[in-house]
Amino acid sequence: MTRVEFFFSFRSPYSYLAAPRAFALADRPGVEVAYRGVIPMAMRGQAVPAAKRLHTLRDAKREATRLGMPFGRIHDPIGDGATRCLRVAQHALDVGRERAFVLTASRAIWAEAVEVASDRGLRAVCERAGLAWDACQAALEDPATAARVDADTAALAALDHWGVPVFVVEGEVFWGQDRLDDVAHAVTVARSRQR
Amino acid sequence: MSLRDRIERRWVPRAVVTLSQVDWPARMSARVRRAAGRRERVELFFAFDDASSAVAVLDLATRLGGREAELVLTPVVRRGLRDDPAAAAKRRYAIADARRLARSRLGLELGRDTPLQADDTAFLAEWVAGARTNPNRFIAPALRRLWLLDDAPVDRAAFEQLWREAMGGAPDPNPEGVRAAEARMTRRNGPYDTPAAVIGRRWWFAQDRPQQIVERLDELGWG
Repeated sequence: MTRVEFFFSFRSPYSYLAAPRAFALADRPGVEVAYRGVIPMAMRGQAVPAAKRLHTLRDAKREATRLGMPFGRIHDPIGDGATRCLRVAQHALDVGRERAFVLTASRAIWAEAVEVASDRGLRAVCERAGLAWDACQAALEDPATAARVDADTAALAALDHWGVPVFVVEGEVFWGQDRLDDVAHAVTVARSRQR
Repeated sequence: MSLRDRIERRWVPRAVVTLSQVDWPARMSARVRRAAGRRERVELFFAFDDASSAVAVLDLATRLGGREAELVLTPVVRRGLRDDPAAAAKRRYAIADARRLARSRLGLELGRDTPLQADDTAFLAEWVAGARTNPNRFIAPALRRLWLLDDAPVDRAAFEQLWREAMGGAPDPNPEGVRAAEARMTRRNGPYDTPAAVIGRRWWFAQDRPQQIVERLDELGWG
């Protein structure tokens, strides 16, 4: 089995753009994609100045258009919205629905302007992803899910990395949605080595 | 949700995205430029101490060859986000990433494993800023020497020799020219790091988006 670790942030438009292709790697035989949700950079004390924010939005729109993905009806989830999605994603992981939840929630944030900090917004996202709302509410209150998010965030730092999306294949680190072809190639090489 | 929250989280990002789609001024400008017999200008802000810049310069020079576009190579020394706690990690990763890109896009091997510091190569930017003729014929060989050869410390005398061969005469450093280029790069929320390719008011990280840069020239009619 070849494992692709996928470090993701709900506040990162590039994570949103990468997610469908990243999770699709698991459709290949013998490939597993391990979701690792991290706390947004701006909530980890890293500077995100206006020039970077502006460029990211403009560039992400161009890339979304190239990829045929909807983008632009945004509701920035920084703060509670991002934290709640990260915790629910841990529950989704436990029940094998992380792919559905991450894709649904990130699309809701970046293309449908859903306010995931509100119960109403998050509940709609959870139910669309096939998650039971009462179980998601329990995950939001569970300190263990918060600890798992912290652990994933620490794991990214341990890789000497800061931003997302980041992919790790057999110890090799790739940063950015535009490196997914390289990730796919690394997966192919790893699979051929294992056969 | 407060009104302020609504504005900051929803309306401002949406307005930025919507306004980024307005393209008629760039298309109009390209038409005027063509009518005046001028070529498009692709300005690539780069840094000699940046592995990603080395790949971007060599890659874009190839991709833009034969197009109705002038590649203007502008070196800077000060780059990146102010007080960025990840600055050193980014320099380390840039080498790993540039190694893969150089191999896959250019068929070249990076010789350097250790990050360079801005001060190590600042003199090269100052020489280029003081050049009286097109410095591109010095920049590409200098980047090759810095990044493809080996991990040795930067040898100023060897670069002086390279300058004489490529440009003729001795270099005439212009540190103020470098400061002016840095100011021009970042003005009006422009690029905050290298390598950044600017066409009109749009810009891209050039190591990440070489194909998009070429496609932009096509969109503007500079095939």
